[in-house]
Amino acid sequence: MRKVKIRIKNLSKNFGDKVVLKNLNLDIYESESLAIIGESGTGKSVLTKCIDGLEDYDSGIISYENIDNIRNLNTQKKNEYLGKFGILFQNAALLDSLTVEENLKFCKKDNFKKILNDVALPESLLNEYPNNLSIGVQKRIGLARAILKSPEILILDEPTTGLDPIIGKQINSLIKKLVKEKKITTITVTHDMQSVYEFSDYTAFIKKGSISWYGKSNEIKKKGNKSLLNFINGLY
Amino acid sequence: MNNLIKKFFFFLKKIGSVFFEIFSSIGEIVLFFFNSVRYLFTGQFYTKIFFLQLIKIGYNSLPVVGLTSIFTGMVLALQSYTGFSRFSAESAIPNVVVLSITRELAPVLAGLMVAGRSGAAIAAEIGTMKVTEQIDALKTLSTNPYNYLVIPRVFAGVISLPILVFIGDIIGVLGGYLICTQVLNFNPVVYLQNTYNFVQFLDVFSGLVKAFVFGFIITFMGCYYGFNAKGGAQGVGMSTTYSVVSSSILILLMNYILTSLFFNL
Repeated sequence: MRKVKIRIKNLSKNFGDKVVLKNLNLDIYESESLAIIGESGTGKSVLTKCIDGLEDYDSGIISYENIDNIRNLNTQKKNEYLGKFGILFQNAALLDSLTVEENLKFCKKDNFKKILNDVALPESLLNEYPNNLSIGVQKRIGLARAILKSPEILILDEPTTGLDPIIGKQINSLIKKLVKEKKITTITVTHDMQSVYEFSDYTAFIKKGSISWYGKSNEIKKKGNKSLLNFINGLY
Repeated sequence: MNNLIKKFFFFLKKIGSVFFEIFSSIGEIVLFFFNSVRYLFTGQFYTKIFFLQLIKIGYNSLPVVGLTSIFTGMVLALQSYTGFSRFSAESAIPNVVVLSITRELAPVLAGLMVAGRSGAAIAAEIGTMKVTEQIDALKTLSTNPYNYLVIPRVFAGVISLPILVFIGDIIGVLGGYLICTQVLNFNPVVYLQNTYNFVQFLDVFSGLVKAFVFGFIITFMGCYYGFNAKGGAQGVGMSTTYSVVSSSILILLMNYILTSLFFNL
C-alpha cells in the first residue's frame, strides 16, 4: 500500500510575467524514488525548491504528512521542515571557504568519516578545498552531505549533469545503492534517462509548468504520451 | 492624437517604475536590517568567522589605509604651505593638518578605501555564494545565513574601521610632520607641540564615531547586495558595483550629517 508523503495541489508560481508552474498536481509517495523530467526551463528545479520550502509559491497547496500547507508555516517551523530534506544541488554547492571535512562537519560533528565509504571517496580528501576538486568528486561530497543527516526526503538536482559518461554512471550506481538500501523518499530532477531507468520507481514529465505524464519509469517507452516519447527521443 | 496619449502614458509608466524600484529597494534594505538585528539577538554568534573577518577587513586593509593617510598628510602640508606662506601664516600648518586628518580626511578616505576593497569583496563573496546555491545549502544545514554571513562581517566592520582610522590619524599627522620638518625646514619640536596643543578630544572622537558608522555602512551594503545577487558572473559583478557605489555615496552623505551634528553647524 503506497502512502502519500507530499501532496501538491494546483501549484502555481510566476517570476514577474513569466509563468513557471501552472496548476501543477503531484503526489510523492513514501520510500519511493520519483524522477522529474522535462525540457530546460519548464520549472523542474523551481518545483523542488517549492517542495522543500526554499522558494515561496504564489498559489496552491503543498501538504506534508500532517502539515496542511507548508506556506503557512512560521519561520521556525519552516526551518524544521527544511531540516527534513537532504539536497544535492546542481553544482554541489559545497561551501568553498571550508575544507571537505568542515563541509561534512556542518551536518554531523562525529562519525562523518563513515559516509566517505558510501560515496566511494578516500579520507585523504578531507583536508582539500572544494575548488581543488573535480565536479564529479564535489557532487559525491554533496551527496555525502545530503545523506549524512539522515534526511526523510532526498532531493537530487541534476546529479549527473556536467559529468562525463563514466563518472555519470558511477554517480547513478551510487545513488541507486543508497536509495535502494536506505529506502529514502527521493526526488530526482534530471535530463539523464539513464538516471531515470536506473533508480527511479516513478517518473513525472513536466511540460509548460504542469505534469504532462506520470507513471512507472519502466513503462515510459510503452505507455508514455507523444510529448514524453518525443522528449526522450530528442525530437523536440 | 491617440499615439500621443499612448506615448504620454508610456512615459508616466517609465517614471513610475523607476520610483517603484527605488522605494522597493529602500524597503528591502530596511527589512534586511531588521532581520539582521532580529537574528543578532536570537541566533548563534560565529566567533571564528568574526575573527577571520576582523583580519580580512581590518588587518589586511592596513597597508592601503596607511599609504592613503601618509600621502594625504604630506600633500596637505605642501598645499597648506603654498597658501599660508602668501600671508605669513606657516605656523598654522600643523593645526590644519591635524584637524583635517582627524575630523575629515582619515575617516572619509579610509571609509572609501575599505568600501572599494573589503565592501566589494564581501558583495562578491556572498553574491557568488548566492548564485551557486551555497546560501540555500546553508539553510538546508539548519544554519541561518544572517548569523553565519551578515552578523560577523558587520561586527568586524564596526570594530576594525575605528581602529584603522585611529592608526590613519597617526600616520597622516606623521606625513605632514615629515614634509614640514624635512622639506620645509620646520622645527620638529615646535611642530609636534603645535599639533598636541591644538588637537582636542572631540576632533579625534568625532572621526572615530564616523568610522564606526562607515564600517557599518560598508559591511551592511556589501552583505545586502551580495544576498540580492541574481544570475551568474554578471549578476555578481553588478552587486559588487552597486555595493561600492552605494557605500561611497552613503559615506559622503553620513559624513556631512555627522559633521553638522558634532559641531552644531
